[in-house]
Amino acid sequence: MQTRVDPFLAAVIHGALENIAIEMGHKLMRMSYSSIIRESEDFGTALTDATGRQLCECTMSTPLQSGPIPGYVEGVLREIAGRGDEIRPGDVFMHNDAYAGASHGPDVGFLVPIFHEGALAGFSVTTAHHLDIGALTPGSCGIVDAVDAYAEGLQFKAVRVYDEGRKVEPVWQILRSNIRIADLVVGDMEAQVAAARIGAERYAALLDQYGLETLTGAYEDLLDYSETMMRDAIAAVPDGTYNARTHIDGYLDSDDPALKELPIEVTLTIEGSDIHVDLTGTAPQTPNKPINMPLVGTVDCAVWLTLRSILLDSDKFGAIPQNAGLTRPITIHAPEGCLANPIFPAPVIARFCPGNAVADTVMKAIAPAVPQQVSAGIGNLRVMAFSGATAAGPWVHMEIMEGAYGGRYGKDGMDAVDTLYANTRNNPVEDIESHLPLRVLNYELRENVAGPGQWRGGIGSIRSFELLEDGAVSVEGDGQRFDPWGFAGGADGSPANVDLVQADGRTEALPSKIPYRQLARGDRITAYGPCGGGYGNPLLRAPEDVLDDVLDGLIDDASAREKYGVVIGATREVDLAETEKLRASR
Amino acid sequence: MIVLGVDVGGTFTDLILADLGKQQLTVHKTASTPANPAIGVVAGLKAICDKAGIAVADIDSLFHGTTVGTNAMLEHDGAVTGMVTNEGFRDVLHIGRHQRPQHYSIMQDLPWQNRPLIKRRFRHTVAGRLDAQGGELAPLDEDGLRVAARTMREAGVEAVLVGFLFSYVNPAHERRAAEILREEMPEAFVTTSSDVAPQFREFERFTTGAMSAFIGPKVRRYITELQGKLTDQGLRGELHVMTSSGGVATPQMIAEKPASTLLSGLVAGVRGGAWVGSHIGADRLITLDIGGTSADIGIVRDGRLAEADARSASIAGFPVMLPMIDIHTIGAGGGSIAYVDRGGAFRVGPESAGADPGPAAYGHGGDLPTVTDANLVLGRLAPENFLGGDMTLDAEAARSVITRLADELGRTPEETAEGALTVLNSNMANAIRSRTVQKGIDPRDFTLSGFGGAGPLHAAEVAGMLGVTRVLIPPHPGITSALGLLTADLEYHALRTAFAVKGGVDHPRLTHLFDDMEAELNAIFDRDGVPADKRRMLREGDLRYVGQGYELKIDVPDGPLDAEALERVWQDFHDRHRAEYGHAFEASPIEIVTVKVRGLGEVEKLGAPPEIAREGTFEPVGQGRCVFRVGEALETFETPYFDRATLPTDRDRPGPAILLQTDSTTVVPPGWTFRVDRFANVLMTRDDA
Repeated sequence: MQTRVDPFLAAVIHGALENIAIEMGHKLMRMSYSSIIRESEDFGTALTDATGRQLCECTMSTPLQSGPIPGYVEGVLREIAGRGDEIRPGDVFMHNDAYAGASHGPDVGFLVPIFHEGALAGFSVTTAHHLDIGALTPGSCGIVDAVDAYAEGLQFKAVRVYDEGRKVEPVWQILRSNIRIADLVVGDMEAQVAAARIGAERYAALLDQYGLETLTGAYEDLLDYSETMMRDAIAAVPDGTYNARTHIDGYLDSDDPALKELPIEVTLTIEGSDIHVDLTGTAPQTPNKPINMPLVGTVDCAVWLTLRSILLDSDKFGAIPQNAGLTRPITIHAPEGCLANPIFPAPVIARFCPGNAVADTVMKAIAPAVPQQVSAGIGNLRVMAFSGATAAGPWVHMEIMEGAYGGRYGKDGMDAVDTLYANTRNNPVEDIESHLPLRVLNYELRENVAGPGQWRGGIGSIRSFELLEDGAVSVEGDGQRFDPWGFAGGADGSPANVDLVQADGRTEALPSKIPYRQLARGDRITAYGPCGGGYGNPLLRAPEDVLDDVLDGLIDDASAREKYGVVIGATREVDLAETEKLRASR
Repeated sequence: MIVLGVDVGGTFTDLILADLGKQQLTVHKTASTPANPAIGVVAGLKAICDKAGIAVADIDSLFHGTTVGTNAMLEHDGAVTGMVTNEGFRDVLHIGRHQRPQHYSIMQDLPWQNRPLIKRRFRHTVAGRLDAQGGELAPLDEDGLRVAARTMREAGVEAVLVGFLFSYVNPAHERRAAEILREEMPEAFVTTSSDVAPQFREFERFTTGAMSAFIGPKVRRYITELQGKLTDQGLRGELHVMTSSGGVATPQMIAEKPASTLLSGLVAGVRGGAWVGSHIGADRLITLDIGGTSADIGIVRDGRLAEADARSASIAGFPVMLPMIDIHTIGAGGGSIAYVDRGGAFRVGPESAGADPGPAAYGHGGDLPTVTDANLVLGRLAPENFLGGDMTLDAEAARSVITRLADELGRTPEETAEGALTVLNSNMANAIRSRTVQKGIDPRDFTLSGFGGAGPLHAAEVAGMLGVTRVLIPPHPGITSALGLLTADLEYHALRTAFAVKGGVDHPRLTHLFDDMEAELNAIFDRDGVPADKRRMLREGDLRYVGQGYELKIDVPDGPLDAEALERVWQDFHDRHRAEYGHAFEASPIEIVTVKVRGLGEVEKLGAPPEIAREGTFEPVGQGRCVFRVGEALETFETPYFDRATLPTDRDRPGPAILLQTDSTTVVPPGWTFRVDRFANVLMTRDDA
């Protein structure tokens, strides 16, 4: 490969760039106040060039936060140009416009421009999911009945929060008076600015050390490198057209058929080292419900992430720099006005679950072409916001409930874990109960529900919360109506569900989306996570693996017999003779 | 007073014997015996006593660094372990933080699911629950516990962890459960999560406890056997084992808290580096310990070894919630392989040729270009005089593998070899920056100490990348870890979760927490027979702004903690936060999360290093054509090779130069001046500093 910079210097510069993004993430995570950033790690940090091409990202960032950063920068540049403004040293911009790069409103980006010898040379950017952004109900998830972009909370379109180094106080005052729990949220925003400034300082020092030309050459090489890796991986996949269709719940309790059981369709066309991804066939946008997905910032990230995780699996290929070069071979089309390319001001704040369903559908489409590199269908996620007011003031707590992976070639699916484009962390029970009027009643794996397969699907969790004071819950989930898909002869997994058990003992099964709902002290919410699909014929599963699951209490003897054709004897060992007989009879 | 340090590594067991009265050091190296490390220790013990002309019985104290616990974790070869936990929480260890280690991978494994420390079938739940303040919501179900204990006993469980929610606030349920388990399973190793790591965050605490149970029987067996063997050899002195926090502990403490040895083998190096530095006034030190496959980096500030950040320590992919010295390990060493990857990028490491086949230059059939081969091609290693002549290097083989790589890159062999070193050195410099610049510490105020077999080869160039102007190479770079063992005091820790917020601190309670911890440590020192005037108690707190999730360590003054005493603590926290992250939230309330006392019990150990004085001149034992980078260009220098043991003391000499000795080779690049000091250290300083 022809390179612009000598390969030794390039390696040195690449190491330095990565080091900067990691430092930004490390500091942001450690400085921030709300658990969604510090515990769940729902943040991103990256450096871009002056046009928004991403140079490096922090390895701790969650992909759905770092992935959209180039879009944030492009959105800000467009907005600034559009209003005849210009970017000056010392400026800091705040941006969350879902129709101009942002993934959705609560993911606020802070951009610090980097200057070298008087000219704009790049951006240092941090993004993070904020607990509240001043929407109609407390919290920034579970806003499942916002009717348009304006109902989703504050909209920031390249808002200058520092003007040539001076804090723009009025903007910060607006934030403080329009955001619930402003101490936490504004504190996190300040931490974002501080972390982005550190990145800018380090990048400027790198520019001073190597000069713009060398540095540009080195990262152009880096982009080419990532592109080459991706092209090689795509070229190894047989040319052809691959199609898949899945469905999301939408609003299962709605009377309007246009709001529920909505198709997501993906057609991949692979030609040489290019992939074209077409979402034609996906349901029309929901004009007044916020499950629409920004094409830039959500759909594109879902597609890129899934393809690179399959084709350039880091477990096999090692860490390949995530940058703009990696996405060059991939083009994406979604018809305007569909769920995957909504028209402003269609609401988008609850795009999290549908976006992960896009990722899952991309995997389903490409699965027949690369069957040893995929998992069977994943279980989707769910976000819950609990809120209330104590003597000390209002409180909001967000919890991302895990899904599960489908079975994989040679391996069972990962149990109770974030799936595909999300990779956050849960909150420790001891943290939740120490700080909030909530009690966690259980946190375990579900039993007897795993998707059977030669390699079974990952198992979902069960987690229950009890309100210790009057409060409220909002739920933004999906995956309750449709089973995660089985693959290559594996059985389907099982869906998620949520129960509300009221203090008086009444139990109510809830749909996957619940707008702000008041709860009384003593009410309990139990969330059952989904189980991924099975991979391969369950009758081919190694009998000792079935026995292990029985001994571990994950399945019972009856399931072993019915689903796997394995007979467990009285001594808790596999009865091989009976097993062979039973399997032969199927 | 005679003390012996024994450091057991993967390949070699290093021993160093010090006669403190006579200021005499004897060193010895013997092959390790991984199947039973005690055998190698005993063989080495006998050999070094012969060498020094003493009897085993003359040794007053034996200091030991072991990797038995570490290896049990790395090889996932521990006890059949069980657990008792709260009803409803059987799978905390399995679900973890529900996060995948790799963002971009479908086929990855989750260590805690793929190779669990405690299988689900051995995780039992019992009723009983505390709230966040430690109040009892449901009593412990003792009958259920006995049933679980019998089930585990019948299943052959050898070690049990008791892990209950909120045990860090109130350990009563855990303690009672452990009591019952010990009654029901007298043979088993029983431990509790609050004993191992009394801090909040259940997954991390339970995992640390599980680790302790998993490696416990093995470590305990090893220590017991070792002590027996040593006694059989006539050892009358005490055995001390190095712990992850950089101190030593008695065998009894290790048997109770085996997880404290997880970094035992690594920390001794930092200790050794710190000790050498302390005698030349270098109390701000970066230690760079480079071996065949990895480089271990440690930071010493004001003579104190930097501790790992709360929540960033891990081993074998599992989080460890224990006080540990911060040792940053990266895959960079003499065996690191240089290659062009499938995307066309040039890389060095982390894959290593290891010891077998090793670098091409070893002539054992290695055919991949390594860092050692690059050093040889550039003339920085003397082929006839590697490791003091114990081994001859094959210069032709090295050149041939480097040339092959050079052809692939379209560069000269010299450019390629130098490029490999630059990339490797830059990786190490970045790792050092992550522990200095990124924490608000300016490395330019530090001395860099290079040791291990390959540290002295790279130290000066790494220092140059960081703007560090002083480099220290200890007298015996290859045995610095064993030396470090002889410099440690007994060190134990007591910890409590405090959750005290500025403005609402219950001062008597906080003072009492510290007094209570000091009493706990004093009881241990009483048991160990440490006299009162040899004890020191150092107080610390982990603080954060209310709402944050990561704490910073701040020193806490002795005596009663009234408002005035705490004022200093709050201000220190703001300052530390600003230094570490570049920002402080002055208006925000501060919370003391955990409080800690480090108890130090002084033991007889190495005092000052022996002094030497040598007259004479710099007489080369050879000369080579060495290639160095000078600015942008590569230049070739006629470079003298010196035998380090013959160099005059306290006389400056400009580089370039190559200094040979039995356990390492030191490179002095052009632009640096070196001298041998009165402690036989090599000191290098940058000319433009």
